[in-house]
Amino acid sequence: MGQAAATSVGLGMPNMPVAMIPGHPGAQSLEELRANVRNVTAQQVMENLLRQPEEPVLGAEPEARDIVFSGTFEEVNAHFYGREWSDGLPIVPPTLEKIEEFLSYTDRPPDECLGVLLPESRAATIWATAVNGVMAGCRPEYMPILVALIEAMVDPTYGVEHSGNTPGSETLIVLNGPIIKDLKFNYTQGVMRDGFMPNTSVGRFWRLALRNMAGFLLHKNDKGTFGNTFRVVLAENEDAIAKMGWVPNSVDMGFKAGDNTVTISRMTGGGVMPSVTGSTPEQMMPYLADGVAKQNGWETAFTVGALTIGTLRPVLVLSPILAETMARCGWSKDDVKRYLFEHARTPASRIETMMEKWVDFRIGSLERQVNLGRLPKVFHESNDPNRMVPIVVDPDDFVILVSGDPLRTNAYAFAQNGYLGFPTAKKIQLPKDWRERIQKT
Amino acid sequence: MAKKSNGTGVYEVVWPRGERRQALRPLAKRLDTLEGKTIAQLWDYLFFGDEVFSQLEESLRAQYPDVKFVSWREFGSTHAVNEKELLASLPQRFKELGVDAAISSMAC
Repeated sequence: MGQAAATSVGLGMPNMPVAMIPGHPGAQSLEELRANVRNVTAQQVMENLLRQPEEPVLGAEPEARDIVFSGTFEEVNAHFYGREWSDGLPIVPPTLEKIEEFLSYTDRPPDECLGVLLPESRAATIWATAVNGVMAGCRPEYMPILVALIEAMVDPTYGVEHSGNTPGSETLIVLNGPIIKDLKFNYTQGVMRDGFMPNTSVGRFWRLALRNMAGFLLHKNDKGTFGNTFRVVLAENEDAIAKMGWVPNSVDMGFKAGDNTVTISRMTGGGVMPSVTGSTPEQMMPYLADGVAKQNGWETAFTVGALTIGTLRPVLVLSPILAETMARCGWSKDDVKRYLFEHARTPASRIETMMEKWVDFRIGSLERQVNLGRLPKVFHESNDPNRMVPIVVDPDDFVILVSGDPLRTNAYAFAQNGYLGFPTAKKIQLPKDWRERIQKT
Repeated sequence: MAKKSNGTGVYEVVWPRGERRQALRPLAKRLDTLEGKTIAQLWDYLFFGDEVFSQLEESLRAQYPDVKFVSWREFGSTHAVNEKELLASLPQRFKELGVDAAISSMAC
């Protein structure tokens, strides 16, 4: 009910009447559910259809440059925390002087609106981007990355409006291009751990932007059941990638090698596969395929038609030594993807049972989906319930990244949230005097 | 660390949100009765909404025997990859189907 109330404000209908089902339908027998609908919900539905709600009035809000508070560092932080404008960690006070420093690192006008962000339908401006960058503890020169991230956030392909869904997925930001070294991002050991200012503060910026610019607030319209903290930025090891003759993620996303890009995608979870052993891909890949398949369980709902067909984009992060070993044996990224398609599989009966019984995302059967032309034939090559089927519809649905400790034979698999945070990439636009200024910092 | 705004240890700060771009929208006029009216069912194919709508139909018909329903099957899932297109098509679809009101579910 809290989510409906909060979301309806952003849609311009704060008085939208809502009827309630006591408890959760998934935790009730059909008899209990029917009784609850009959005794509670139906009465509310009838009242909502027949009684005109009162006309609402929205309160006034500050202008972008209005000084909303003056105080010490501690007072500013208490003020922001009390109004749900911070994540609970201290923020850097967004003063006009500090914001101007950030704005100097973009050629775009501060009032430019990059898009309108649900759920609160707020203008995603260059100005608000700078404000939240200041608050997150970013340095001013990170501003071009922050702008590209907001451009990705407003892209309908990504689907930011789903960012408060109950699985509590968290966005992974992948960074590519020479800007990694320009700004001293960590792209080697511990790449996904906090500890490096650019990786950490840009990751924090993303979640502050979701909070302040989009309007996702816990206990309101961020309904993550457990949630996650923000992920720090994953920068690819482009030196290693170039050395082995592979292409960086930016090329997979449609840009040129050497372009500065951000790619965002929402991950439901992830896990490490330590101590990958073998001197050939054939020796290494069975373990990796097993890990990728195990990591993506209910998420196959995004593949087989329970929620969508073919929008799952699982990610495999290889440490450089693993990728180099594969490349030395003549394997490309496409070979890795093809192997995963053929071997990162799961029993058909597991998918069908999960969709039909465990999570109630009903598909009928994989056979039915194939017969209707929704899935390729590989999902129903026999009637054997234990036949192994892919977790994606196309080898290219897998995303392969190279980063982490160059000399550890570990890999990491992410499960992904399908179209509820679909991979979206943007080129980072640098200001005209970037090279000159960055050399001075 | 941010510069102090006025050199006295006091920071003058702006708010971090963007301008609200969605104006208030008036809700549709409520119905004077459900008798003889046509109600559309919109479902996101989650959380047993089919059972919920089935029970709602029964309960509403008990009180308003001539109420009519357009099933959720007519529209498809409102929470699928084509949801934006589907929602945009609804005003026209409602006109074609003579819909007087709609019930949308299941939120969570």
